Amino acid sequence: MNVIPPEAIPSLSDEDLLVQRLRDRDESAMTLFYDRYSAALYGVIMRIVKKEEEAEDVLQESMVKIWNSFGSYDAGKGRLFTWVMNVSRNLAIDKIRSRQYRVGSRTQPLEDSAAVREAASPTFRPEHIGLQEMTKQLNPDQQQVVDMLYFGGYTQSEVAEELDLPLGTVKTRARAAIKVLSKLIR
Amino acid sequence: MDTQQYIESGVLEEYALGILPEAERAEVERLAGIHPEIRHELDAIVMGLDAYAEAHSLTPPPAMRDRVLAGWQQAVRGQASEENTISLPPMSVAPEPVAAQPTATFTPPVASAASEPVVRPISSAPEPMQQAPARGYGWLMAASVALLLSLGANYLLYNRWQHTQSELFAVQQEQAQFATTQQASQKLLATQQGELAVLRDEQFRHVTLAGTPAAPSAKARVLYNPATRAVYVDVRSLPVPPAGKQYQLWALDNGKPVDAGVLAASTAAGEGLQQMKDIASAQAFAMTVENVGGSPTPTLSTMTVVGNI
Repeated sequence: MNVIPPEAIPSLSDEDLLVQRLRDRDESAMTLFYDRYSAALYGVIMRIVKKEEEAEDVLQESMVKIWNSFGSYDAGKGRLFTWVMNVSRNLAIDKIRSRQYRVGSRTQPLEDSAAVREAASPTFRPEHIGLQEMTKQLNPDQQQVVDMLYFGGYTQSEVAEELDLPLGTVKTRARAAIKVLSKLIR
Repeated sequence: MDTQQYIESGVLEEYALGILPEAERAEVERLAGIHPEIRHELDAIVMGLDAYAEAHSLTPPPAMRDRVLAGWQQAVRGQASEENTISLPPMSVAPEPVAAQPTATFTPPVASAASEPVVRPISSAPEPMQQAPARGYGWLMAASVALLLSLGANYLLYNRWQHTQSELFAVQQEQAQFATTQQASQKLLATQQGELAVLRDEQFRHVTLAGTPAAPSAKARVLYNPATRAVYVDVRSLPVPPAGKQYQLWALDNGKPVDAGVLAASTAAGEGLQQMKDIASAQAFAMTVENVGGSPTPTLSTMTVVGNI
């Protein structure tokens, strides 16, 4: 047993262990969960809601939701990371939707919503995987479409309408963008 | 089934983006379970998006950790006690102080992981001090305090450094964005100067195209220079073409229609002039609605505007 140094154990088993502890309703596992996933989740939440205070709310709601609906996580269908990222992303999108609903600005003029989306939040952590490196590989049209779909919660037809593009073009761009992203890590 | 065709259809990307309806999601999962090549492709796509999400990583402010964990615990215990209120009323009260405890112990703003090893020697110090000479422990105390201070200073400096880095990146992003905007403005300016030159050029004949009975309110204009053969189109108002259709301009030369090119969606929406194909000779111009990409011959029943020179 003691022949294998802990670093040699693949990180996947860390995730398995965490999943096991969450399944066993081990509350202390959520501290570990926070330390491991909060940066990734918070980064995406901030990218969507833009405000630190709301991002904190969404992060906490995400933790509650992840804990409460952990039974519906199926490790056979995908990684824990993917699942929790989707939970947080959807909560964050719901947040901005309800905000827009309150203000009644779901159909604001294009310049407005585009400006909000494009305002560079000062929150990227360049040292991580290299957002710059990744976005450099995407052309701006592709990035715009994939960002609207992934961070904006738009459907493809809504993107087509908002950008005044044929639906086919939107689909082609989304597919091309994701192809580029998955090639980068292969 | 043709798995390659399925992979190429784009449905896997839609699945990963979370924009597929529930029924189609289940179908993707079912097929991924049967066909290893679909599973493989789907995994790669999901990993790509995950990496993109992860690239946005941002460490939350340190103080947020305790607030979020305490808030989470309160929410979860709250639910648990609500469920228990009827059968076991005291239980709903009992966990509360426990829930409050961690908040109190975690209050130091320095990350708890960093403070723990430092705090311990101090708390254990008073006991042996009574037996051993105070001087040695005085040094230990001083060293501990120095270490604590240095940790605090390191922590602050690290924080500030991180902050500076992200600010720098934000500024770089802003600058890049500004450069892009500037380029776009330059391009727009050049286009508009070109349009103005065409509009002012006296060699150009202005041909008004009026709506046909099919679209009485449609209105457009063709600018035609017979000397250079240049043709521009300027739309005032055209009905939005049906999906998969596009406007096409025709020059009529001795009654024979000659293709003058298709209108971009922005041109049809009236956003600006568009240069069309050169036309050697024409007595009239007309527009019809054709399949995207244009037709070799006009579909006369869809003629929307027409005008003589």
